[in-house]
Amino acid sequence: MPSPYDTNAFTLSPASPQAAAISQLFVGTLIFLAAILVLVSILIIFAVVRYRDRPGAPEPIQSFGWRKLEIIWTAVPILCLVVLTVCVAWTMHVGDPPALEESPDLRIVGHQWWWEIDYLKNGAVAANEIHIPIGRRLLLELRSADVIHDFWVPQLARKMDIVPGHPNRMWLEANTPGVYLGACAEFCGNEHAWMRFQVIAQPIEQFDAWLHDQLTIPSKLNSSDAQRGGQLFVDRTCANCHTVTGTPANQRIGPDLTHLASRRMLAAGAAENTPENLAIWLHDPNTFKPDSNMPNLQLSTDDVRDLVEYLETLK
Amino acid sequence: MKDAAISDAGGLSFEQEAREGWLSWVASVDHKQIGILYLWSSTIFFVVAGVLALLMRIQLARPENHFLSPTMYNQIFTMHGTTMIFLVVVPALIGFANYLVPLMIGARDVAFPRLNALGFWAQAFGGVMLYFSFATAGLNLGGAPAVGWFAYAPLSEAAYSYGPGVDYWIIGLLGIGVGTLTAGINLIATIVCLRTEGMTFGRLPLFVWMTLVTGFLIVLVIPVLNAGLVMLLFDRMLNANFFRPSTGGSAVLWQHVFWTFGHPEVYIMVLPAFGMISEVVPVFSGKPIYGYEFVAASGVAIAFLSLAVWAHHMFAVGLGHPADLFFAISSMAIAVPTGVKIFNWTATLYHGRLRFTTSMLFALGFLAMFTIGGLSGIAFAAVPIDWQLTDSYFVVAHFHYVLFGGTAFGVFAGVYYWFPKITGRMLSERTGRLHFWLTFIGFNLTFMIQHVLGMYGMPRRVFTYPPLPGWETMNLISTIGAFVLAFAVLVFLVNVMVSLRSGEVAGDNPWNAWTLEWATTSPPPPENFPNGVPPVQGRRPLWDLAHPDRTDAMLMRLAE
Amino acid sequence: MKNPMPDKTKVGVGLFILSEAGFFAVLVISYIYFYVLPSHGPGAASSLNAVRTLFFSICLFLSSATIHMAGRSFRLGRSNAVSTWLALTVLLGGAFITGQAVEYRGLLERGVTFSTNLFGTTFFTLTGFHGLHVLVGLCALGTLLGATISGRLPNINSSGFEAVSMYWHFVDAVWVVIFSVVYLWPLFG
Repeated sequence: MPSPYDTNAFTLSPASPQAAAISQLFVGTLIFLAAILVLVSILIIFAVVRYRDRPGAPEPIQSFGWRKLEIIWTAVPILCLVVLTVCVAWTMHVGDPPALEESPDLRIVGHQWWWEIDYLKNGAVAANEIHIPIGRRLLLELRSADVIHDFWVPQLARKMDIVPGHPNRMWLEANTPGVYLGACAEFCGNEHAWMRFQVIAQPIEQFDAWLHDQLTIPSKLNSSDAQRGGQLFVDRTCANCHTVTGTPANQRIGPDLTHLASRRMLAAGAAENTPENLAIWLHDPNTFKPDSNMPNLQLSTDDVRDLVEYLETLK
Repeated sequence: MKDAAISDAGGLSFEQEAREGWLSWVASVDHKQIGILYLWSSTIFFVVAGVLALLMRIQLARPENHFLSPTMYNQIFTMHGTTMIFLVVVPALIGFANYLVPLMIGARDVAFPRLNALGFWAQAFGGVMLYFSFATAGLNLGGAPAVGWFAYAPLSEAAYSYGPGVDYWIIGLLGIGVGTLTAGINLIATIVCLRTEGMTFGRLPLFVWMTLVTGFLIVLVIPVLNAGLVMLLFDRMLNANFFRPSTGGSAVLWQHVFWTFGHPEVYIMVLPAFGMISEVVPVFSGKPIYGYEFVAASGVAIAFLSLAVWAHHMFAVGLGHPADLFFAISSMAIAVPTGVKIFNWTATLYHGRLRFTTSMLFALGFLAMFTIGGLSGIAFAAVPIDWQLTDSYFVVAHFHYVLFGGTAFGVFAGVYYWFPKITGRMLSERTGRLHFWLTFIGFNLTFMIQHVLGMYGMPRRVFTYPPLPGWETMNLISTIGAFVLAFAVLVFLVNVMVSLRSGEVAGDNPWNAWTLEWATTSPPPPENFPNGVPPVQGRRPLWDLAHPDRTDAMLMRLAE
Repeated sequence: MKNPMPDKTKVGVGLFILSEAGFFAVLVISYIYFYVLPSHGPGAASSLNAVRTLFFSICLFLSSATIHMAGRSFRLGRSNAVSTWLALTVLLGGAFITGQAVEYRGLLERGVTFSTNLFGTTFFTLTGFHGLHVLVGLCALGTLLGATISGRLPNINSSGFEAVSMYWHFVDAVWVVIFSVVYLWPLFG
C-alpha cells in the first residue's frame, strides 16, 4: 500500500466538477485581490518614497479631499464586487447542486470522533473510509450523533456542517481515481484533530468489487489464535460497542468493524492500519488518540495478539 | 486629588494613601486613571494570551507532537481567543477611548465617572472568573473551557462539556460585558452631551467619531451576547432546552444569536483602530485627513451593515442558497466602506511631508496588513470559497491579519503617539523602530504561510496533524515567526518600562499635532484643561491657533 | 451663549434602555422561533389564561399613567401629590408581580417547568427576565418614594426622576410586546 501521507488535500487540485468550479472561482478571485493588493502597495510605497521628509522637502499641501475622486473610488469597487457576486451566484449553483427531492445514496453520521458511512441503497456499512465509483454523483445525507461536525474533502466538494437536528445534503463525485483526504472541520471536542477520513474513488468495476466484499460476511476463522480472538471480542466487551456482522456483536456505539482489515487507516486517520499499529491501539488507545472514547481495556499481551489475529481476518 | 508625580515617601496615612498612593487608583473615578487601568489590564492579558499562543505553536511545530495533550491544547486555544478578544483588544480600545475622548472634546471627564469605574472593575472581575477556571483542573473534569471562543452548542452543553469550564466562561463574559456595555453608554453620552463650545459633530476628531459609532454597536450587541450566554447557562444549569437538539432545541439558534453579536464585535474591535490611524497619519503627513466626511460616514455605514452580515460565519451550516447569497451580498457591501478608507488614508500621504516616527511606521504597516486581511475577507464573502476555506488555517490567517495586522498595529501606532501625552515622556524611537521591524517580520512570518496551510486542507483548532507533505515545514515557519513576534513584544515592554522611568520629557505637543488633547500638559492635570479649552472653530483647533491667517475654515473656502 | 446639549442622564438611560431592548429582542425572537415550530407537551394555548393575565397586565399599564402623573406633580413641585402617585405606581407594579407569581405557581403545579419543553424554557425565561426588570423598577420607585416622603426630594431640575420614569415606561412597553406574543397570539390560531 502506498503511504497515506504521500498525498495532499490541496483545494486547488480539484478532482470533481463541483470542486473544479470552486477552484476556478478561487483562482479568479485571488488574481483580482492580488491586483488590488499590488495597486495599494504601489500607491503606498510611491508616497513613502516621494513625500518623505527630507531637507528641502516642500510644505505639505493642506488639502481636504476631492469629492469626485472619492465617489469614483467608491463606485469602481462596487462595480467589481457586483461582477464578483454574479460569479459567486453561478459557482454556488455548480459547486453545490440542488439536492432536495432525490433520495440519498449514502448517509454519513458524524460521531465524536469517527465517521459512520451507511450505503443506503445496498446496506453496506463502513467507517472512516468512503469508496465511490468515479464519474457518478452520489447524494450524501449528513447527520450527527452528538455535536456539530463538518465533512470536508477539499479536492472533491465544499465543506458541509453536520448539525444535530438539522440534516444536510450534498453531492459527492470524483472524476479521477485516487485517494482523497478529508477531515472534520468543525471543532467537536478532544479528538477533533483525529477525526479524519478518506474518500477512495475507483473505477466502477473495482468499486463494485469492493462493495461486494463489504456485503460479504468474513469467512470462518482458521487459526486457533483467531478463534480465541473472536471469543475475546465478546468476553472483553468489544461487542458492547462494535458490530461484526455474522457474530453476536451488533452495537453501533463505536465503528463497524466487520471489514476492519480492509481499511487503510485506524482510528479515523490516527494511524496506518497495520497489525503492529492495531496491537498498539488495543494495548493503549491513548498512544494514537488520547482521550478518545475507546477505553483502555487493560488487555494482556496474549489477548492483544489473539485479538489482532482475529481482527486481521475481517477483510 | 492625585498629582502627576508621586513622591515615594513611605509611611503615608490611610487617608493620604487613598488620596495619593496606589490605593487612589483603586478608588479612582478619573477617566484618565481608569483609561490607564484598562491599558495595564489589557497589557497583562496580552502577555498571558501571547504565551498561550506560543504554547500552541510549539505543539504545532511538528506533526503528531506530544508537547500538549489534546485537552490542554483545546483549553489553551479557547482561552487564547477569548482573552485576546474580550480582555485585550476591546479593553485596550476602551482604555484609549476613556483617556482621550474627554480630552479631545474639551470635557473634564466622561458623563458618568462612577459608572466608568464600575465598568472597569466588573471587567477585571470577569477576567479573574474566566481564568479561575484553570484552577479547577482535574484529570477529566474541570479546567478551563475547551469549546472555542464561540462555544458552539451542543458541544458547549453540559452533556459534552461536563466540567465547570464553560460556566466560568459564561460568567466571566457576563462580567466583562458589564464593563464593555457601561463603557459604550458612557462614551456615547460623553460625546453627545459634553462637547465644548464650538465642537460640533462635524468637527469631532475621527477617533471620537469612530468611538461614537463603536459605542452604538456595543450598546446594541453586547446585550445580544448576554442573552445568548444566559440562555446557555440556563441550558447547562437549569436543564433548559434552548440549544439542545436532543430535547427540541436548536444548535443553529446559538450560532444566529452568537454571530449577531460576534460580527459587530469584530467591528467594535477595529473601528477605534481606524480612528487612531485617522489621527496619526494626518499628523505625520503634515496635512489633514483626505475626505473627513467620507471617513466618518463610512464608519457609520460599516456599523449599520455589520448588523446584517452575521450569517457569513454560517455559510457551511446549510442554511440554503438564498440565505447564503443574501449574506454574501451584504458582506461584499461592507467591504466597500471598509476598503474606501484605505484609499482615504493613502491619499492623505500624497503631497504631505512624511515623518517616519515609530507611530507612523505602525500606521503604514497597518495600511498594508489590514489591506491583506480585508482582501482575504472578500474571498470569504464569496460563498463557495468560504465553503472550502472556512474553519481552516486560511481563516485563522484572515482574522489575524485584520485583528493583529489591523487593530494591534493601529493600537501600537496609538501607543507611540499618545504615550507622551499620558506619561509626559517619549518612548524611545530607536527601540521603537526595532519593535516595529521585529513585529512586522514576525507577524508576517507567522501568519502569511497559514493562508497556504489552509489551502492545503489543514483544519483549524487541531492539536496536531498528520505528516502530510509540506505541513511540517509550513507549521515550523509559523512557529518561528511566533517566537520572533514574542521577542518583539518583549522589546516593546522594555521600551515602555524604561521610557516610563527615563524617557525624554515630552512637553505639551511633541508631534505638533492639532487636536485638543495636545492643548494641555503632558500628562494633563485631573481637571484636564486648567487654563480653559482653546476656541474650536474647525477640526484642527491647534492648527487654527498657530495659523490664524490660514485656518482650516479659510483653506476650505479657498478650495471650493 | 447658552449651551443646548442634551441632558446626559436622559441620554444614558435612553442608551441603557436601547441595550435592554436588544436583550429582550433576542428572548422574544427565541420564543417566537420555538413557538412556530411543531412541538409536544404543554404550550401557550393550553397552559395560559390570557384573560386573567390581562387583569394584572392592566395594573402594569395603569402604573405607567400613574408615574406619568407623578412626574407632572414633581415638575410642579407638589411633593404630596408626588408621593401619592408614586405609591400608586408601586402598588400597581406590585399587583402585577403578584399576579405573575400566582400564574407561575399555577404552572409549576401543573408540571410546566423551565425544563419541561421549549415552551416552558422560553416562557419562563422571557417572562422571568421581564419580572426581574419589574422588581428592579419597583426598588427604584420605592427609593424615589422614600426620598419624597422623607422630604429629600431632589431639585425639580434633576433628571433622576425622569430616568426612573423612562425605565418604567420601557418595562411596560416590553410587557405589551410579551403579552401580545405570548398570550394574545395563541388566541388567533
